[in-house]
Formats: sequence, structure tokens, C-alpha cells
Amino acid sequence: MARPPAACGRAGSTGAALTAMLRVSGVSKRFGGLTVLRSVSFQVAEGAIVGLIGPNGSGKTTLFNVITGFHPPDGGDVVFMGRRLVGLAPFEIARTGIARTFQVVRPFAGLTTADNVAAAVLYGRGARHVREARAEARHWLQYVRLEGAADAAVSALTLGEKKRLELARALATGPRLLLLDEVFAGLNPAESAGAVDLVRRVRDDLRITVLLVEHVLRIVMGLCEHVVVLGSGQVIAQGPPVAIQADPQVRHIYLGEGYGAAG
Amino acid sequence: MAQVLQALVTGLLTGSVYALLGAGFSLIWGVAHVINIVHPALAVGAAYAVYLLAARGVDPLASLAVVVPLFFLLGVGFYEGVIRPAARRGGDLVLVSMVLTFGLAAALENVLAAVWGPGPRVVNVAYTGRAVQLGVLALPITHLAGAGLATVTIAALYLFLHKTFPGKAVRAVWQNPEGAALCAINLRQVTSLTYGLAIASAGVAGVALALIYSFSPASHLMWLVFVFLVVIVGGVGSLVGVVVAGMLVGALTNLSTLVIPFAWAPFFLFASLGVLLLLRPTGLFRR
Amino acid sequence: MSRAVAAGLAVVLLIFPWVGTGEYPLALLYSTFMYVALAVAWNVIGGFAGYLSFGHAAFFGLGGYTTGFFLVRAGLSPFLTAPLGAAVAAAFAALAGYPCLRLRGPYFAVVTMILGLAVRAVVLNLPWTGAAEGLWMTLPPWEPIVARRAFYYAMLAVALVTVLAGRAVRLGKIGVGLEAIREDEEAAQSIGVPVVRLKMSALILSAGLTGLAGGIYAYDRSYIHPDFMFDLHLSVLAVLMALLGGRQSWAGPILGAVVVRLVDEALTVRVGTEAARIIFGLGLALVIVLLPDGVLPYLERLRWRAPRPPAAVPAAQARP
Repeated sequence: MARPPAACGRAGSTGAALTAMLRVSGVSKRFGGLTVLRSVSFQVAEGAIVGLIGPNGSGKTTLFNVITGFHPPDGGDVVFMGRRLVGLAPFEIARTGIARTFQVVRPFAGLTTADNVAAAVLYGRGARHVREARAEARHWLQYVRLEGAADAAVSALTLGEKKRLELARALATGPRLLLLDEVFAGLNPAESAGAVDLVRRVRDDLRITVLLVEHVLRIVMGLCEHVVVLGSGQVIAQGPPVAIQADPQVRHIYLGEGYGAAG
Repeated sequence: MAQVLQALVTGLLTGSVYALLGAGFSLIWGVAHVINIVHPALAVGAAYAVYLLAARGVDPLASLAVVVPLFFLLGVGFYEGVIRPAARRGGDLVLVSMVLTFGLAAALENVLAAVWGPGPRVVNVAYTGRAVQLGVLALPITHLAGAGLATVTIAALYLFLHKTFPGKAVRAVWQNPEGAALCAINLRQVTSLTYGLAIASAGVAGVALALIYSFSPASHLMWLVFVFLVVIVGGVGSLVGVVVAGMLVGALTNLSTLVIPFAWAPFFLFASLGVLLLLRPTGLFRR
Repeated sequence: MSRAVAAGLAVVLLIFPWVGTGEYPLALLYSTFMYVALAVAWNVIGGFAGYLSFGHAAFFGLGGYTTGFFLVRAGLSPFLTAPLGAAVAAAFAALAGYPCLRLRGPYFAVVTMILGLAVRAVVLNLPWTGAAEGLWMTLPPWEPIVARRAFYYAMLAVALVTVLAGRAVRLGKIGVGLEAIREDEEAAQSIGVPVVRLKMSALILSAGLTGLAGGIYAYDRSYIHPDFMFDLHLSVLAVLMALLGGRQSWAGPILGAVVVRLVDEALTVRVGTEAARIIFGLGLALVIVLLPDGVLPYLERLRWRAPRPPAAVPAAQARP
């Protein structure tokens, strides 16, 4: 079932053969007088892991919110697998096959871990029966290695576990595209490595395309085949990690002088 | 035209009393996160205190000397003795406070009914029934006194909130509790003070309403409706918003009786609230 | 065990009116059934979805007034008017609920309370509702005990329908969706929960069931007036009963309703209505301060505290 790891190697091997699954074109968003996104365009190829980076306040999370329908854009278009998303309610967009996690984890605190995921099975994929959904929820909890905490209250989980729970909840909706908003932030090195591995498995085993916002550049450069750089609400650069690392504009605006040494 | 003007001015006068009640209610809502259902019931309680004193020859305005300190202490005591312990036990404070203060309002209503009976009462003073003629306008002195009282109290609240240090602390918490906590504001003191002031202002509003209206133990329900309307329209966290909303509700209620049958006035009022909510569901509450 | 208990209870309740029972116990149980229906119906929107309505008296009163109106003006049978009352209450919820449900937290609570008081004010001023004089209906010429039995069964049916509906919602797919909404609406949207549709449905169902109870109650009283059909007390009572029993479960509100009804009755009988309301109001305040999460969770906590064998380590599940 899984594609051989070699086939999903870094830059280069992806690209031409893959079609654009998500097409963001000319998206603008203003909050009051503040323009947060101006004419942002980029594409996410099917089967890719795409990184979205940029300094704080550059509009990354807003872009996620525009794609998922929480903030309708003021201009521009978002097309997912041939379908226009602008104008759809967030729950409808979720049902087209886009799942997301939140920058600050937002599990359903009053539900058990298993029911958090069962809700996603019920509504994301249209399962009818709670009992079946709960059974399937256990499968997804196993996938993110939370099977021991199925009946635990969410409040008993660590941050890393909550993040994995959110990932399981997103996966349980049966997405084709997964938007991850800083899933690695706040994790210790071991958890972080596990999470990177998990994201790879999601793409390789489940064939889910991934678009992720991340601050730790080492992770982005190691994990993604394509990187989009946002600055002040605009796309400054995009391309394979190697090209991004070499881009003088990006180095100047975002990476700073220290990056070469740290990387 | 004279009729419209008369309705408008009388509406604004009563609106100032709505605004005063609304201001205290909004302060408690914003600072203590308590929906103080008992607020108008306390005002009605103050009206009965005025009634009691007036029967012994004390002018309503003079009764303020008793009502204000008494209600301030009542407010502080209520916060320290009831609300704070309740809040510390956890649970949903909105829910807990609404049920709690409704229970107190119901108890107070029935105590008043047990002592004075359920019927309406009127406070009679020397100037009841007399009016000041101002061009085409006839303004009852009691209305002027009540509105004047409300205006002075609101102005005092405004000065307190904007010019004094404890007042600024209250305003900071009112507008942004988390931010205020970061500035090392003593939340307990501020909330306690707010409760005292808000309840004292309800006492003043009760004196004003005793001057203007007849009242019965159950009339706090009607006042509750107006307080809600004023705070929903004016928003929580802004004294100016509440004052404008109070005037607006007062004027609209009065003016609407000119153009539509009296029976439909409440319907009109609530329908316009519904439309307002539909058009600006969250915008109304933005500070 | 619970199924056997439920069946036993059903049998007892069904034969109860025929074992030489007088009018008073029947009336007491009748009103208890009504409280159960109100609490369970309220809990669908207030407990499961977490939208704290303080205006359910509006739905109750609308159900009652619809019954009164069609009985008096159109001579319809009460078997028709009560469901009609439910429909009117549900329709009103659909209309008024849309703007209200865009509000959250305290704003929703306050606006629904306004709504409850507003409907009362409007009905009080409309001539064709009998306005402040109220509305008289004529009951069929039944003997008192016959009437009590009939209304006993009618309200039992309403309570049963309400409890079954509440249980089905809670244990089914919708219940999980409503819980997700209660916890976090945006996260719920992100996994495909149709938030607006679901909470509207919950409110409409809750309102309809409340209206149904109101319809039966109105016919039983045969005289209705806004003061008690749209009583704010009723709105808060519904909240209190659900709260007291526990809002997360479908059965909690039943317990809360029975407790509240019996305490209310005992007080009214002992000290009279006015004093009862004073004590009740203060008691309300006390209970809510002491048990903000209700009795049921508290009892459960007590049970958990009781000594029990060391918890078994959950068996590790084999990975496929």
C-alpha cells in the first residue's frame, strides 16, 4: 500500500507529473484598514508536502483561515480539485476533503479522546452510527500512537499528545489535503522527530497531500518538497528548499544572517 | 410637531434612568462576568425605601443619603459574600450568576409583595403633578428631578472612571480583563469596588424611578427588559455606548407610541432589536 | 438493569391511576411529568449544545396560546391543538433562533431572556389573544377524576416522547455533533459539523417539545394568562432543573425535575405561595453556589471516591 520511500524523495522527483490539487490565486484579505494578504497565489501539487513559511504576522494563519473558509477572502479565488471553495461554509470545505489543525490546539475538551476523533468520523466522512465511529476512532488513535488514552479526558493529555489527537481528528475526516498549523511548535526534540515521521507517513502511506505552516526552518527544509515564503501578506518566493535557502531576498528578509550557521 | 417634541424629550428624560441602570449592569457584567438579574429588583427595592421614608416626610432626594451608602455596602458585601465564593467553586459563571441572581430577585420581589402587597405604589411629594412650561413643552418636575439625578450620577461615574486611578483600573478590567491582570491590577479589589458602585448606582436609579413612575414588586421585570436592551445595544465595556443606547431606547419607546397603536409598541421595540441583531450580530458588542 | 427498571417504572406509571388513586397524587405526578418534559427539552439546546436559553417560557406559552386560540376560535380538538402548539413554538424558534444563535455565551442567555419577556409583553397587548384578561376554554364535562386521569396520561405521553427524543439525540450522531459545538464551534466546523443547521435543529426540537407541554397544560388549566404562561420563573426553572440533575447526560434533567417539583410542592403546601417563592429563590441561589455542576456529577464523584480495587492497566491493543 505504501509507496516506496525512494519515490517521495526531496525536490526534483516531484513536480511535473503531479497536478495542482489546490490552487490559490490572487487572494486578498483585509481586516478593517489592515491588509493582511495581498494577491497571494500559489499551488499545491497532489502528493506533495508543501511548507508555508514567513515571519510572524506575515499572514500564514490568515491564509489557512481563508482556504478553510473561516475568513472569506476579499478578492481572489481558491480552487480545490476543480471546485471553487470561496463562498462555501467551513464545514462544507471540510467535507470536500480538506482537514486542518489549529495553531493553538483546540481539542473538544469536554469529550473523551476517542469521541474527539469519533466526531470527525461521523461528520467529516458521514458515518451514521456512533458505535462504528468510535471503533474507527480507535484505529486513528492507534495511528498517532494515542491508543492508550482513548477513554481519557482530554485535559489529562500532554501538549504533544493533544497535537497528535488533533492530527488524528483531522485524519479521521478522510481528507485529501491536510493543513497543519505549527504542529511541531512546543514539542521536545524527541516528540518533534516523531511528528516529522508521522507527517511523512501520512503522505506516504495515506497519500494525503500536506500543506504546513512551520517556524523551525530545519524541519521545513528537511520535510518539504516545495516551500512558499510569505512576507507582509505577499508571496516573496517559492520553489524547492534548496532554491529558497539560496534566495538572497529570502535570506535578507526572513532567514537573517545567522541561518547558514544554524542550518 | 409639539407632540413629537414632547414625546422625544420625555423619552430622553426617562432614557437617562435606563442609562443609569444599564451602566451599573454593564459594569458588573464586564468586570465581574456576572449577569446581575437582581439589578433592577434592587432599584425597585430602593424605590420602596424611598416610599417608606417619604411616608415619614423625608424627601426622595434626601433619602439618597441613606440609600447610596447602604447600597454600596450591600454591593460590596454581595460580591465578597456570595459572588466571589460562587465564582471560586468553578462552573459556568454566566449560568451560575444568572440563576443565582434570578433567585435573589424572585426572593426580593416576594418579600416586597409580602410587606406591601402586589399592587402599585406612588411616591407623593410636594412637587408631584407640577410641571415646568418650556415653550410648547410641559416637563413634569418629577421627571426633571429623576433625570437630573440620573445625569449627575452618570457624570460622576464618568469622571470616576476616567479621572481617578481606581476608576481607570475598573475601566481597564471592564474593557480587557486579561490585559488588566497583566498590569498587576488587584482584580479582587477592583471587582469589589465595582460591585459597590454599581449597586449604589442601582439605588440612585431606584430613587429616580420612584420619582417618575409608579412601581410594584413585579415591575423589576419590565425594567430588566429595558436594562437588557440598553446593554445589548450599547455594548458591554463602554459608558458612552450605554448612555447613548439608554437615550435611544427611551426616545424610541416614547416616539413609537405616536405612530403605532400602544399595544404594538413592545412588538416594534423587539422587532427592531431582532433586525439589529441580524444585521450586526457581533458588531454591536465590539468596544 | 436499567432496561428492567425502565420497564417496571413504565408499568407502575401506567396502572397508577387505576389503583384507587385520588386526584391529588395524579395532579402532582402530572405536574412532575410536565417539569420533566420542560427540563429534558431545555437540555437539548441548553445542555447538549451549551446554548443557555433563558427564554423557554416563550415556547411554552406559545404552545399554550396556540391551543387556547384554536380551541376557542376554531373549535379544534385538543388532540390537534397541542401538536399545533408544538408546531407554532417550533416555527417561532426557527424564526427567532437564527439571529439569536449567532450570539454566544452571556449574550445568547440575555437575548433569549429578552425574547421570553418580549413575547409576554406582545401577547399581553394583542386583543385576539385575550390580552390582559386572558383566555377561557371550555373543558368537556368530565368528572374531576376522569379529567385528572386523562391529563395524567396526556402529560405522561408528552414526557415520554420528550425523554425518548432527548435520549435519542444524546446517544446518536447529533449528540456528538452538538457536544462538539458546545466545546468549540470552529473546531467543529473544521471536521465537517454543520454547526448552524445542527444548533437550529436542536433549538427547534427543544422549542417544539416545550410547546407541546404548554399546549396540554393550557387545556388543563382551561384559563390562560400571559403572567403564568410566559412566566420568567418557568424559563429559569427549566435551566435550574437541568443544571441540578446534570446537563451532560440525557437522564440528569429528569432527576433534577423530580427533585425541584417535589421541593416546590412541599414548600407551597407548607408555607404558601409567596413564602415558598422566597425560600425557593434563596434555595436556588444556595444550590447553584454549592453545586454549580449539578447533583449527578457530584454523586458520580462520590462514587469514584469510594474505595475500589486498584485500576486495571488498559490492555495494550495489538497493532495490525
